[in-house]
Formats: sequence, C-alpha cells, structure tokens
Amino acid sequence: MGDSNVSGQAYSLTVMAPIVSEKVSHLVNYLDDLGSGDQSPLARVGSTHFARWVVMDAPVFEGGHQRRDGWSAPRLLFTSNFDGALDPYLESLRVGLGEDANTIWGHCKDFPGVADAGAFAAWIKRNQIDSSLFYAAYGEMTVEDVLSNLETRRRLTEFAAANQGGSAAGLRDAFLREFSP
Amino acid sequence: MSNVEGKATAITVMSPVWPGARYYLSALFAIARQPWAKPALEKLQTLSFIHYARWTVIPKFPDGDKAESLRYTYLFFESNFNGTWDEYIDAFSEVVPVRMWSIWFSSFGFPGPQPVEPFKRYIRKNEYVANHYWSAYPGASTTQVISAGRVAEAVAELRERAEGLDEKAFEEAYVEMLTKIQNDL
Repeated sequence: MGDSNVSGQAYSLTVMAPIVSEKVSHLVNYLDDLGSGDQSPLARVGSTHFARWVVMDAPVFEGGHQRRDGWSAPRLLFTSNFDGALDPYLESLRVGLGEDANTIWGHCKDFPGVADAGAFAAWIKRNQIDSSLFYAAYGEMTVEDVLSNLETRRRLTEFAAANQGGSAAGLRDAFLREFSP
Repeated sequence: MSNVEGKATAITVMSPVWPGARYYLSALFAIARQPWAKPALEKLQTLSFIHYARWTVIPKFPDGDKAESLRYTYLFFESNFNGTWDEYIDAFSEVVPVRMWSIWFSSFGFPGPQPVEPFKRYIRKNEYVANHYWSAYPGASTTQVISAGRVAEAVAELRERAEGLDEKAFEEAYVEMLTKIQNDL
C-alpha cells in the first residue's frame, strides 16, 4: 500500500507540537499579525498549495457520556498540502520561513531552530501525524502547473475575444506567438 | 485569525471518538485507501468545491521523543474549499450523508448530518479557527483550477499541431478547440 499522506504527487503534512504554555498569547499574536498573500512567510515556500497554523488550546469537550480530557500543553498545528516528497519540502520550508520559523515554532517544546537542517527536519518528523485518508481534487498538478494553467486560460480568453469574427489569415501565426512555450 | 484567503476557506475540526472506535476508523480509512475503493472517494468530486481534504485518526499526540496519550482517540479533519462555510456544510449534509455518518457516527455528540442545523452546531463546537491561512492561488476556485488544466492541455495540443496546418485548416482546428473547451473558459 502507498503512503497514506500522498495523493498523486501531492503530500499532506500534519504537524502538532506542544507549546511552551506561558508563551501561547505571544504566539497567537504573532500568527494573527502575519500578512496575507505575498506578505505571508508561506509565500516564500513555493511548492505549498494550502497551509495553516492553528493554536489549539484544548481538545473539545462534548459533555454527555464524554469525560473531560486535556493535554499537558496546548498544541500548535501546522498543516500543508504541497508538491513532491517530504524531505525536499522540509528543506524549502526551513530556508523559506527562516526567522519566521524560529519565532513561530520557537514557542514549541524542544524546537532546535532552522540553523541545522537535519535537526529541523527531525523535529518536524517527530511531531508529524500521518494522514489516514487524503483527498486531492487535482493531485497531479503542482503549484507551478496550476498557476501556469490559470494564466494560459486567462490569455486564451483574451485571445479568443480579440480574434472573434476575424479572418483565417494570420490567426495561426498570432496563436503561435501568443502561446509559444 | 482567519479561515479565509481569497476564495479559499479553511475548516479544521477535531472530535473525540468513543473508546474502541479508533480500530473501526483505522479500518474504514484503510479500506477507503484501497484502489478498488476509489469510487467511494471519487464521490467527493461531486462536491466540486473541495481542493484538498484529509482525515487523521490520532490515538496519541506527538510530544517530543515520546507521545501523549489522552483518555480518548481523536478524529482530525481539515478541508480547503471555495465558497462559504454554510454552503460547504449544507452540501456535505445533502450530497454525502451516508459517508458523513460512517465517518463521524462514533464521535461524541455527533447528531448526524441531517437535519443540517444541529450538524452545523456540532461542527462549530468541534472547530478550531486558523491563526494564519495561506493559499497559493486565492483567486481560483477548484472548478477554475481543473478547467484551466483542460484549457492548457487543449492549447498545448493545438500548438503542437499548428506548424503542420495551413491557415484554413488551423482556423478549423482552432474553432474546434474553442468549441470543445467553451465551458472551461
């Protein structure tokens, strides 16, 4: 059986690490204040389709027949849906996040920092939880594929509008100019 | 805090399950991963707004070199989808209620996927809001991503053939391509 974290070429990473409890509010503030879009530190990790950080204070208590349950420390969840294998991704995560990784996971127990690539990867793996089932609607497409395809779609829409009702003369050359690899 | 980035919405749910249910859930997901069970997962494609989703059975939580055992096993679920939270839960409730039931019935407090309002209250109670959420293409829905894949494929195919076609034949091939992918534009 294949790796349950994988669908197509996509990988589902789930990391849940204990937070050094007195620092939770600092961490929450830091994550909440991170910029979105190009300002997000995750924008520097190019093979990431979707990712999130979530501070989880305590497990849910439903009441009824459930008895109260609790962690020894709150957890910091990080999940990512990315392209390719885990090891190269962890290296791009380490390099791409840089000081942001130190600040964020520096709130967590035994985080070694990003200076040592091997120690960083080993720490992430120690706190990793395997997916039981991973669904990817387009697991064969990399981030690069998706962005390139969306751009091709946009350009074809414009090209078709610009050439609507025109003659055959020159259409082929214009198409080849517009869509040359 | 934000569960939204452009068109993309994050949902993160973790629910405690009955004692012993971890064995049932592990078996259920092991079966769902089998190639012959693929049609069951493909049913999710009818929910055409899901980019990525995962389920994880957590009997123990990582804690450095060891692991922390709690009283219960937990069922973790995350999804990345386009559209609103309410639309998403409505669709799950309406389109795949049996699958929903088979996955969550062993969770404490699960009211069933229908009627939808108690189900929404349950999800809200078991949900964690993301402190930071990232999407590489926040302006694109799942349908747009898949459509763009078909468009790019058609463009590449025509580009390869174009050199061997005269202008009249190219125009015919071009119109044929546009007709084929018109719903993807």
